[in-house]
Amino acid sequence: MPTLHRPDTLDEAVELLSTVDNPMVYGGGTAIQILIKQGILFADNFVDLAGIPGLREITPGAGVLTVGPMVSVRRMETDQRVRAHAPLAAEAYHQVANPRVRNTASAGGNIAHGDYRLDPPTALLVLDATVLASSVRGTREIPVREFFVDFQETAIEHDELVSGIRIPAQPPGAGRFVKNSSLGENDWPCASASVLVTGSTMHIGLGAVAPTPRYVACDATGLDDQGAVDAALAAIEPELDPIPDVRGGVAYKRRLARATVEDAVRAAWKDLQHA
Amino acid sequence: MTVRITLKVNGVDHRVAVEDDTLLLDVLREQVGTTSVREGCGVGACGACTVLSGGSSVSSCLALARRYDGAEITTAEGLDENDAVVSSFVECGAAQCGYCIPGFVLMSTELLTDNPRPTEQEITDHLEGNICRCGTYPEIRRAVATAAQRRSPA
Repeated sequence: MPTLHRPDTLDEAVELLSTVDNPMVYGGGTAIQILIKQGILFADNFVDLAGIPGLREITPGAGVLTVGPMVSVRRMETDQRVRAHAPLAAEAYHQVANPRVRNTASAGGNIAHGDYRLDPPTALLVLDATVLASSVRGTREIPVREFFVDFQETAIEHDELVSGIRIPAQPPGAGRFVKNSSLGENDWPCASASVLVTGSTMHIGLGAVAPTPRYVACDATGLDDQGAVDAALAAIEPELDPIPDVRGGVAYKRRLARATVEDAVRAAWKDLQHA
Repeated sequence: MTVRITLKVNGVDHRVAVEDDTLLLDVLREQVGTTSVREGCGVGACGACTVLSGGSSVSSCLALARRYDGAEITTAEGLDENDAVVSSFVECGAAQCGYCIPGFVLMSTELLTDNPRPTEQEITDHLEGNICRCGTYPEIRRAVATAAQRRSPA
């Protein structure tokens, strides 16, 4: 069992990350505990962020909401500021796991996990969020569109931790998140999509249909709903690279990805017409 | 490393010894003796190990005990038979084997505290992470609606 370190400050936490052997940041801990039980998580030292004051803050700024890494997924779903500022993000966080797991799971840990099936990244991608990464070397900003680099791998270095997520205000238009699971309602999704239509551009964030969450955008000028669906399906085609598993084979997941994107685009178009 | 922490369980302080990797579930069952807290799936998906910490539901099977030093924990033992949720579950026959029921009762308590008059859909949504393999879901939903009435009559 790894040693549990419980620092009182962010400085102490990043110091630990740069000095102890094979460290891992411990956020909400829900994913970590599951991976430990599955015998596929290897760390010698956990650096627990729960005792550090200030990491649970949601801070409004000029057109941007900065979310502390220990803000629970549940609060991302229910907090009125998040719901008003970026309703698409609130909806994606609402769809994570179940209410009890959302109480414990953290917004920072969620993206640091880097799993290709996560719901929130699809919304963060279309909203063009920024991840703050801190270490003893300071804090740098990583556009979320450059954050998910490979299968279960993020742009976070081993001595860094996610110290915040900056979410720009959702622009006028329409945003929809849709996910489909193939085994059970609470299982990992088999395909998920966030669609944000703003001005003449359609932004699409994809989950579970490639080794990383994917982002594409396409021009939606003058399109009706069927035209938008066709444009969206053409745009996602090069990004579809599903991993076959117990939830479905490649052909099934490709088809479900297209159905999921189509549902999200049609729902967004309906919202635009009723706006 | 063994550390001594204090858990306030159902209003009573318990001084317990835990290791870095001790789960809240195991402390509550083995040291505190609140055996209504049960292991089911072990991955936060079934709800049998639910407790409330400061009123918020937690999967104790995924919770490191050391992080709960000083926390106010509620288990089903902390609710008496006159409690609106407990009495509604009894009257609606919302249990068959009963293994999952403490978790359902605590999730329902959390729901009704946050949202005293939930819709049927809100009841279903809040209990989505709790599994009853006997399949008493219709009775459970009715029990939660009954408890809502009882706690805050229209």
